[in-house]
Amino acid sequence: MKAAPLALAMALILFLAPASTAQEVVVGSLNDMTGATSDVGKDYALGIAEAVNYCNDNGGVNGKPIKLVQFDYGYRVPEALTKYKLFQRMKAVAVLGWGTGDTEALAPTVTQDKMPYVSASYSGHLTDPKKTPYNLFAATDYSTNARATLTAWHDTRWKKHPDYGKRKPRFACSYMFASPYASAPIKAIKDQATLLGFEIGPDQDVSLFAVDAKSQVLALKDFKPDVVWHGNTTMSVSATLRDAYALGLGADHIINLWGLDENLPRLAEKAAEGAMAATVCAFYNEAGVPLMPKVVEYAKKFNPGVPQEKRLIRTVQAWSNVLALWEAMKRADKAGALNGEGILKKGFETMREFDLGLGGAKLTYTETDHRVSGAVPVYEIKDGKFRLVQVTDIKSRWPDKWNGWLGW
Amino acid sequence: MSTTFLPCGEYHESYREDHAWWQTRFIKAKMMLLVLILFVGIPLAADSYWLSVCNQIGYTALGALGVQLLIGFCGQITLGHAAFLAVGAYTSTLLILEFPWPTVLMDLGLAYPISIFIAAIAAGIWSVLFGLPSAKVKGFYLILTTMAAQFITVDFVITQYISQIGGRGQAFSLPPGTIRIGPWVIDSDLKVYFMMIVLVILFTALVANLLRTRVGRAWVAIRDNDISAEVMGINIVRYKLLAFFVAGFIGGVAGAFWISNLAAISPEHFPWFWSLWLVGVILIGGVGSLHGVIFGSIFMVVVMELLQMAVLPLATSYPKLLMDFLFIKEAAFGLAICAFMIFEPNGLAYRWWQAKNYFNLWPFSY
Repeated sequence: MKAAPLALAMALILFLAPASTAQEVVVGSLNDMTGATSDVGKDYALGIAEAVNYCNDNGGVNGKPIKLVQFDYGYRVPEALTKYKLFQRMKAVAVLGWGTGDTEALAPTVTQDKMPYVSASYSGHLTDPKKTPYNLFAATDYSTNARATLTAWHDTRWKKHPDYGKRKPRFACSYMFASPYASAPIKAIKDQATLLGFEIGPDQDVSLFAVDAKSQVLALKDFKPDVVWHGNTTMSVSATLRDAYALGLGADHIINLWGLDENLPRLAEKAAEGAMAATVCAFYNEAGVPLMPKVVEYAKKFNPGVPQEKRLIRTVQAWSNVLALWEAMKRADKAGALNGEGILKKGFETMREFDLGLGGAKLTYTETDHRVSGAVPVYEIKDGKFRLVQVTDIKSRWPDKWNGWLGW
Repeated sequence: MSTTFLPCGEYHESYREDHAWWQTRFIKAKMMLLVLILFVGIPLAADSYWLSVCNQIGYTALGALGVQLLIGFCGQITLGHAAFLAVGAYTSTLLILEFPWPTVLMDLGLAYPISIFIAAIAAGIWSVLFGLPSAKVKGFYLILTTMAAQFITVDFVITQYISQIGGRGQAFSLPPGTIRIGPWVIDSDLKVYFMMIVLVILFTALVANLLRTRVGRAWVAIRDNDISAEVMGINIVRYKLLAFFVAGFIGGVAGAFWISNLAAISPEHFPWFWSLWLVGVILIGGVGSLHGVIFGSIFMVVVMELLQMAVLPLATSYPKLLMDFLFIKEAAFGLAICAFMIFEPNGLAYRWWQAKNYFNLWPFSY
């Protein structure tokens, strides 16, 4: 009798589970819905599923539907490893990854397995095809973004400062040291600060979970920075900005892109005014972006329970990665090589100035460089809204250094 | 008329026989079968995914072995064991990446094996440092000092200082071919599996033998009643610190093994949750039992994977199930611990013991 409920459950599973099609293209997706970066990860995960539905509604991979297998791994690296192996077992042709920690940890494995790994981590460490050929993303990398944002601040704010020409601008960083995501562009941004003639102050360790950063802000006050770079995600950055405002730090703030979204002005209010960040695509429901109506339509259609005002730029970032992978898979399939190597060589590395229609950089991947572009739009928060400050083209501004910056 | 009587049981004629691990031919045959399954059956039958699941079990078991030694055999509660795994992993990685190995050792493929040994020693010494408070405190207070090991080691020392070595940022990646034992480059799940199985067997046997010595008996005496143990002449501080050293040593080996699995590490690989998870493993497996370590590790890894397998067929119709699986998994972990605490506080090892006894006496088990 004890076996009866088990048999019933198995029968139910078999009855409810539709048979899979042989022609399906399996794509795995690792997402963080519950871990340290879930404040930005939930919206990204919703965007992934919606974008895949859009791809399937538009013919899939040349007629073959994409089967998305999406897991929440809670931002835990060992969990990511077993999930990745499961994707392999399910014959996934590519994986949509998430954080820098798991992406960098899996980089040697995906290289060995020739598995395209399109991550939400835009770490500059992943852009050198000599080291990590199968790590890709449809965005400008953290290091290029950090250089661009600091340069934009220097161009637009420092040059108007009363002390301009009298002393060096003071710069400090606030981020979670232990987080590979937050610390990924540190070397690059400090290099850029040195290049632009900044005086660099001591780094402040602020947790991704931080709800209070007073001690770090007080430590920063001793250095009196003119500008502080924040490397964490939105919740933690908003806590730091609020404390900086309350304690009268008096510095400007520049933020890595996962720390600035539609929630930041809501959470930090006045404290977020003037904050600057690089973006890699348009904000959610931004006007004048060709594909944005579809992004909104699919969000309403597949996740009607999530209010539109709660949707973020993370949805658009997810769409960017999915659409880039979709394009690469279609190209590889046309070339008769819908496998890991084909998706990389016949797909991604054939893209030149490819426009996804989501307001981001036009994508170019070459055999020697996976940085998609050197031109980075930098936005600021003005009266609670996002306003374009400038597009900083790092590549054309420092052409002699651009190649040397590859991979860090 | 003389009559020859056949022996009706196992007769041991020496102390050595009496203390042998495998006392009967039947047991020897069983163990040989187990060895065959582990070294031939599983590698032949399992695909890459299941091998990686086995490797996860082995990593969990190596970590939990040290926790079992401390909690289950010496009565020293620890909630910071992931720190010693981290020390092992980082020591081994840095030795491979930064140490100027003589060409002879590199050519012979000895860099990684030597680094494992040094990593284990380093983790053992580091563990002793955080075991020092056990001389004065116990119970909840000791839990807090071991938790400090986690935060001081991973969040402070490794993150702030160790990770900066070589200017790589937080994530250390090992180039292909560097994880090598002799001529054997460990670059596939199968090779990692063989390494894991050797390490697990070796250290399980080591701890099992250690527990049968004077040292092991002293640990158990301290666990049962430290005051009585001291009255009997056991130097409890020395033996407690020795337990911390051995647990840290095995933790160091586990950490050094882990890098072969991914060829990369960052502080995020060793969260505090992992220390808690290892305690959960021995609670479910059975506190104070080496079988418990293995059963607990298998349960915690395989049951979760099987649960996932059950969810997968439904995912096409209900994709949200996959995304919510981590909630199910966390809930299952909590529920399993509660259930074992209430219904089977002696863990899976006790159930195994009962089943074994039943079959040993079967069919005359009355």
